[in-house]
Amino acid sequence: SACILVDSRCLSSGVELLASLRQRHAAAVHVCSLDGSYFIVSSRMAVERQSQSDLASTQNRKRLIERISSLLGLFERVCLIVEKDRTKTGEISRLFQRTRYYDSTLAALVGAGIRLLWSAGAEESAGLLADLAKLEHRKGQGISVPLEVKGQHRQQALQLYLSLPSVSYVHALSLSHNFSSIAQLMNSSIEAIQKGGCMSRPRAEEIYRFLRYSCDSALVNASKAGKRN
Amino acid sequence: VNAAPPHGHVICSQRWRNAAVLQGLKGVIILFEDELGLADFHLPNRTAILYVSECDIIAGNGYKRKLVCYRNACSRFQELVLVERTRLTEQYFSAVQKFVLFDLGLTLLPVGGQVEASQLIAQISSENPFRRRTPRRLLEPSVLALVQHIPGVGRVKALTLLQHFPSIQQVCNASVAELEPIVGQTSAQQVHSFFHKPLVEH
Repeated sequence: SACILVDSRCLSSGVELLASLRQRHAAAVHVCSLDGSYFIVSSRMAVERQSQSDLASTQNRKRLIERISSLLGLFERVCLIVEKDRTKTGEISRLFQRTRYYDSTLAALVGAGIRLLWSAGAEESAGLLADLAKLEHRKGQGISVPLEVKGQHRQQALQLYLSLPSVSYVHALSLSHNFSSIAQLMNSSIEAIQKGGCMSRPRAEEIYRFLRYSCDSALVNASKAGKRN
Repeated sequence: VNAAPPHGHVICSQRWRNAAVLQGLKGVIILFEDELGLADFHLPNRTAILYVSECDIIAGNGYKRKLVCYRNACSRFQELVLVERTRLTEQYFSAVQKFVLFDLGLTLLPVGGQVEASQLIAQISSENPFRRRTPRRLLEPSVLALVQHIPGVGRVKALTLLQHFPSIQQVCNASVAELEPIVGQTSAQQVHSFFHKPLVEH
């Protein structure tokens, strides 16, 4: 069945969607803490969900660009489900007013290689997510490691892997299941990192270089103990 | 017709001459062309557009063949599909989307009609904020942050460790004996065992 990772921030707004994923589509859904409210449906694909009115609102532009750019850095494929706004029962559905801003946003998303999906509501979005996960699975890109990480040491290793640059939750998950110790990863070849992390070659190369990067002590002292990204 | 049109131009298939879709394309120079193949428009940023109208969808499955041929033509353009989503086609929309997206792997954009389509086409050739590359940053802060994920290592110990072992790999491969004079006996044990303890489930 389809394996899907969900950010905990999706819970409040996505009760109906999650229930539908679990019950109607028999998907294995695991809630975890991602760096944004999105879904991971394969080792390379993330899915954002936005309401049509949020996408059309100019106030959200900066946040949308930040979120999408960060996803493009972490995943080979990024999808965006555009969901029609919910209308309260009895309310006549308002006609969506298409603006030039909305069109330019769509054009920019398409130009950046984002795959857009169109949904009439939570139920349909759940179906689209399940379809994407199944399609990726058929292409051999499904999430093949257990979605849960048990034990304190493994949890700590997962957190360490998450602080590697350009590593998404699903990469970190694969790394923590596929390497017998952290030291084994630290001393692995690019090929072994690529295989163990179920990731692309450039990403594995970036990790390989990062682990061997020799810090300039003056710059280390000057740097603030930064958070991830 | 394999070259993209110059900036500010749109190449348009002959069959759209006099159509409503062209009225919204103000400020754009429209060139008509007989041999665009199945595509209806070619845009400056190497985008090809196929327009699926309300009639196409209601008339039956003919448009599907057209879509398959469009995809297989494998031009060097990014292929978009505009689909008229109206009250009449609403019931077919989800099936059309499944076909275009999941079976063909093309990008679909719904439009309410030709006027909306023309406004969208006009926007497709503008610049792109999502593709902006983030400038290369120094790696030192990221390395420091990662070292602090070792249990028992805070900012001070992380800085001391990196002064003696400037890369993460070197921190990892340092022996307990090498670590002891730097972070003390307890931490040395802790750091070493964190890296080398097997990650097996109990």
